[in-house]
Order: sequence, then structure tokens, then C-alpha cells
Amino acid sequence: MEHLVQSLILGLLIGGVYALMASGLTLVFGVMRIINVAHGALLIASAMITWYIWRATGIDPFLIAILMTFLMFGVGWLLYRTVISRIGAASVSMSVLLTFGLALTIEGLLNVFAGNKFRSATPSYFDQSFRLGGLIFPKTQVYGATVALVMLAALYFILSKTWTGRAIRATSQNPTSAALIGVSATGVAALAFAIGTATAGVGGSILSVLYPFFPASHYDWISRLLGIVVLGGMGSLPGAFVAALLLGLAETLTATYISLQWATLVFYMTILVVLLVRPQGLFGSQLREDVAA
Amino acid sequence: MNKISGRSFNRRKIFGLTVIAAAALTVAACGSPATSSKAAVATAPTVIGISLPLTGDFSQPGTQAQRGYEVWRDMVNANGGLLGHPVELKITDDASNQDTAVADYTRLITQDKVDLLLGTFSSLLNFPASAVAEKNGMLYVEPAGGAPTMFTRGFKYLFFAQPAVASAQADVFVNWIKSLPVDTRPKSAAYATQDDPFTRPVIESMQSQLEALGIKTLYSKVYPAETSNFQTVASAIAAKKPDIIAQGAVFEDGVSLVRSLRQVGYSPKALFQTSAPGNGSQYSTGVGAANTEGVFYTVSWNEKANTPLNKEFVAAYAQKYNNEVPAEDAADAFAAAQILQKAVESVGSIDQTKLADWLHANTVETILGPLSWDATGAPQSSFILAQWQSGSVEIVAPSAAATTTTVVYPKPAWK
Repeated sequence: MEHLVQSLILGLLIGGVYALMASGLTLVFGVMRIINVAHGALLIASAMITWYIWRATGIDPFLIAILMTFLMFGVGWLLYRTVISRIGAASVSMSVLLTFGLALTIEGLLNVFAGNKFRSATPSYFDQSFRLGGLIFPKTQVYGATVALVMLAALYFILSKTWTGRAIRATSQNPTSAALIGVSATGVAALAFAIGTATAGVGGSILSVLYPFFPASHYDWISRLLGIVVLGGMGSLPGAFVAALLLGLAETLTATYISLQWATLVFYMTILVVLLVRPQGLFGSQLREDVAA
Repeated sequence: MNKISGRSFNRRKIFGLTVIAAAALTVAACGSPATSSKAAVATAPTVIGISLPLTGDFSQPGTQAQRGYEVWRDMVNANGGLLGHPVELKITDDASNQDTAVADYTRLITQDKVDLLLGTFSSLLNFPASAVAEKNGMLYVEPAGGAPTMFTRGFKYLFFAQPAVASAQADVFVNWIKSLPVDTRPKSAAYATQDDPFTRPVIESMQSQLEALGIKTLYSKVYPAETSNFQTVASAIAAKKPDIIAQGAVFEDGVSLVRSLRQVGYSPKALFQTSAPGNGSQYSTGVGAANTEGVFYTVSWNEKANTPLNKEFVAAYAQKYNNEVPAEDAADAFAAAQILQKAVESVGSIDQTKLADWLHANTVETILGPLSWDATGAPQSSFILAQWQSGSVEIVAPSAAATTTTVVYPKPAWK
């Protein structure tokens, strides 16, 4: 029983962080139909910057996350204005090619400037845990999940309560009508991309503490995050959230009760089964695809 | 990706041609070499053909191997060359690609007609490349490629320049346990290994050997390479309370497991990991310097090892590459070249068959220690058992290579 509870706790803590990392990816797809393959590379870039700041100043990486939110927001906005906007409403496959190129560029730059080395931030509490009876709550996981949830709540607030957020959602649901009532499509797209990149900024700061990383780590992350987005339904934020928690749980429960070797496989098998029954993913809607087409 | 590496390859090629052209002009301008008395007989250079992964997945170790070869070349040439001929390395980049490695070696042998070969990096690339050498009857000493399948093909010209194949890597750790008085020996063990051709055979063979010693297996799991969360593994292991934890860790998985063990608060009497702890400061900063105390790992070479020529190698490397400490991959490449050199000097020619026969019959002193081979080219020595002690790495076994007689056991609790 204690094993089960422990696995559930760890699964949810891990899933919460995955949810934040995937949120930007699904948001960008929802608004622009862009599959941002560079999301993982942006995550690693942010982790690297966080690591350097932590190393130089000793500031807690979870506090650096605040700085990274704004920094990566700016980076995202700039990237959209200079690079991403060029493909405009071109096909989804174009967006994959472009952002893959971007991912390789970022990886290359990190290799040149930071070197092909493993890094991980180790604040003083990195190897400590909170304990409750026999249960263990690793501090880094708890803080990481907390920061992720706060960021997700902020994202939810922005998207549902502010005019900008409504404009973003309107564009994602029906771009033509949104344009008709005066929403600037490019402005919204740039904002959405910047917000998406900002989540990668926070995600990267968390990653720098939780997982050792090096420039090429982004391949692992992007495949995991794309899996989450597909399972949740392309473009659906609640979907990504639920799918991320599912992935976290699938990982820990399979590892505890079946076999480590199956842990990742089970997740992808879940995707396969869900897609057979619900091709649009858990929370996706087919209608939106039709409108966009 | 192909486009990018293809382009840089062409650029490098052009650069290479320019350098060769410039070198040719310089030589022509200097006229006949009447300066050096040793090389007075205008001897043709002995050309050694090598293909290495200088770009792509294995670029990091591939570059280290190149440095190891080049340090050896400089040392040999400073001492009058190989059988009086200056040594020239012809190194091509295979971009970590099997097909390119095969094409490279084929071209080096058939078109460039190089005198000798040295191997490339990794089992993946050496597997097909060694077949090219074998088919052409060329001696093939390779610095990194210890997968057991390399040696099931009955090759005659293949030699592996490390102390042991992967499945024998853990022997030195098992022997150390055997050396302990029976009542202080660990009683139980937990094993976890990444599903990787370099780590899995090490842990599997260790498990069967320790079981034969009566050490009970409480946990044994294989995990895929993309595993990034180790808390569940750590808590499952902690629940069993094993005396030994042995992990087949490549790198980040090793760091993550130590951190997770620390988080769940379980410290075994002995902690063994395959290659992760061999990454110096990348490892100690990853797990926290205090947490390295007592961690064991096996390795083919260490910069402190008291083997012939090792000090000179480390010094020459540091001088050539702004005071860096050579990586294990550079040392393995240097050793491969040492083996080739010894065979050529002993046979007195570059007759490939005679060289292979000589190596099958003799032991060669290298910076990794003495090496000898069975009929398939698999080495017959043992790895070095290293341990983190007070923030740095010491060699604890075998005694001939040891830098200390102290072994930290049992491992102190996490601080």
C-alpha cells in the first residue's frame, strides 16, 4: 500500500512538471498550427542559462525561473517576428522543418558556447526530502511541481480572464471570425509563441535542477512532450495537463509494478490505444481541425 | 543534419587539400633535406590509415582518440620514427556513420594503399570496419569496441587495445570482494543497468559471479536509455536494503540514481557504477562532491596509473592540448598505437600476417598495463578498479596499478 501511495505521489510530482513543459507546445499548436520541434531545445537552452546564473551567483534556480519567464518571453517574441512568422499559414510540415532547423541551431550554439558536457544545478537541498511517515517527497520534485503549477495557474488566468488571453483563444478556435472582430492575427500569434517560449523558460529552470542535461538532451524531451500533446489532444491545454499526469503515473507505476523496461513503452502504448478509440486525443475536438483546414 | 555535416565535411576537405598543397610547396622550396642526420636517408614516411567519428554522435570520444593517436605520432617521430621511417597519420572523418567508416577503410586500403591501419571508435563502427581490414588481410588494432560480438567472428587480424571485453570488466571488482574476509563480505546486492551494449554485459556478468559467491540478489532490473526519473528505482532498492548496489550507468542515469538514493536516504555498504563516475568533475558536481565518497567504478586507464610511459603520455598530452588531462578514450587510442608500434619493431617489417602472429604470441607493455590476446583478438587482462576517495579518484586494484592501499569500505553514510 505504501508502495502504491509513494508511486502515485512521485508520478503526480513528475507529471506536474511535464504538464508545464508541454503547455507551451500545445498552446503554440492550438493558435498557429505550428508544431514547435524546437520547444525541447528552448527548454535545454533555458536550463543552460539558469545553470550559468546559478553557478555565477548562487541564486536558487527556482527563483531564476522568474527571470527566465521574461527572458524567454522576449526570445520567443523575437524568434516569432524574425523567423517563425515567415512561414505564416503555410503547411504544418513546413513548421516542423523550420523548427527542427531551429532546434539544431540552438543545439549547435549550446555546443559551441557551453561545450558538450553534462550539467545539473545542485542547490543545497538537491538531495534532501520531506518525509511523512514512510513516504518520501524529494524537495526538488516538490518545489519543481509547485513552480510548475503556479505557472500553469498563471497561464490559465491569462488565457481565460484577460482580453489578450481571450484573443488568443478566439484565434485558436476560429481565426477568421477573430480577425473580423479586430483581433490582429500576427500580434496574437507572436504573443502566443512568446508565452509558449516563456513556459519553456520556466520548465528549463526546473529541468536544470531535476535532471542532468547536455546540449543534445532536447531530443529525449521533445519526443516525450509531443507524446503528451498528442495524447491530450493537439492544442488542448487541459488535455496536455491530464496527459502529463497520466505519463508521470504510467512511468512510476509501471516501474514499480511491472518493469522499468516497460515504463516508457506503456506510455506510448496508451497513446496508441487512446488514438484508436479517440483519434482527436483525450480533449481534442475534431471540429477545430475542420475549421482550420 | 546531413546537409550541415556534409557541408562542414567538404569545407574540411578543402581545408585539408590546401594544407597538403601548402606543405608540398614548403617541402619543394626547402629542397632536399640535408639538415637532419638521422633522416639523412630520405626515407618515405610510413602512412597509417585511420577513420574516426570526428563529427556526429561520437564526436567527443572520437576527437579524444584522434588526440591520443597524434600524441603517439609526435612521440614516435621525436624518437626517430618507426623502423627509421617518419610516421604519418591519414585520418578521415566518418561522421559516426557505419557506411562511411566502411567506405573510409576500403579507400584507405585499396586506393591510398596505406602501410598500416589503426581502428576507429565504438563497437558500432569497429564491427564493420574490422571486417574490411580482415578481408584485406590488414592488421587492425582498435581502441574502443569491447562488445562481445566483436570476438565471435574468429577474426585473425583484429586486436582490442583495452584490458578486457565488456563481460570481463567487472572481474576486478568481484576479485576485490573475494579478497575480503568472509565475515565482512557483503551478503546481498541490487543490480540496475541501462539497456546498453557497454553496460549490460558488465552488470550481468557481475551478478552471476557474485551469486556464485553466495551473495543474494534482491533486485535486478534493466531500464531503457531514455529513463530519467530514478526515485522509484531508488525507493524499490531501498526497501530491500541490499549491501551492494551495482549500476550499469552511462552517465546521467548514474548521477540521477545517486541523487535519488540520497533523497530516499538509503546508503549501501558498497556502490558500484560502470562508467558514470569516470567523468571527473562532471560526476562529482552532479551528485555533490561529498556523495562521491567510496563510489567504485572500473576503467581501462587512469592518469595516475604507474604504468611505463604513462607519465610521459600525460605530460605530452597536456603540453599539446592546453594543460588538459587526457580522457580515457585518448589513452586507449595511444595504447592501440603502442601495440602496433611494438609489433612492427619486433617483427622488423610491416608484413601484416607476421604482425598478427606476433601479437597472438606475445604480451605488450602499454600505458594501460600489459596486454595479451586470445585467438579472436579479445584481450586477457583486467580493468582497473577505481574509487572516489576524499573528492578525487584513486586506483585500489589490481595492486600493480594501485595508487593507494586504502579502500573505503563500508561506504560512509550520506553526509
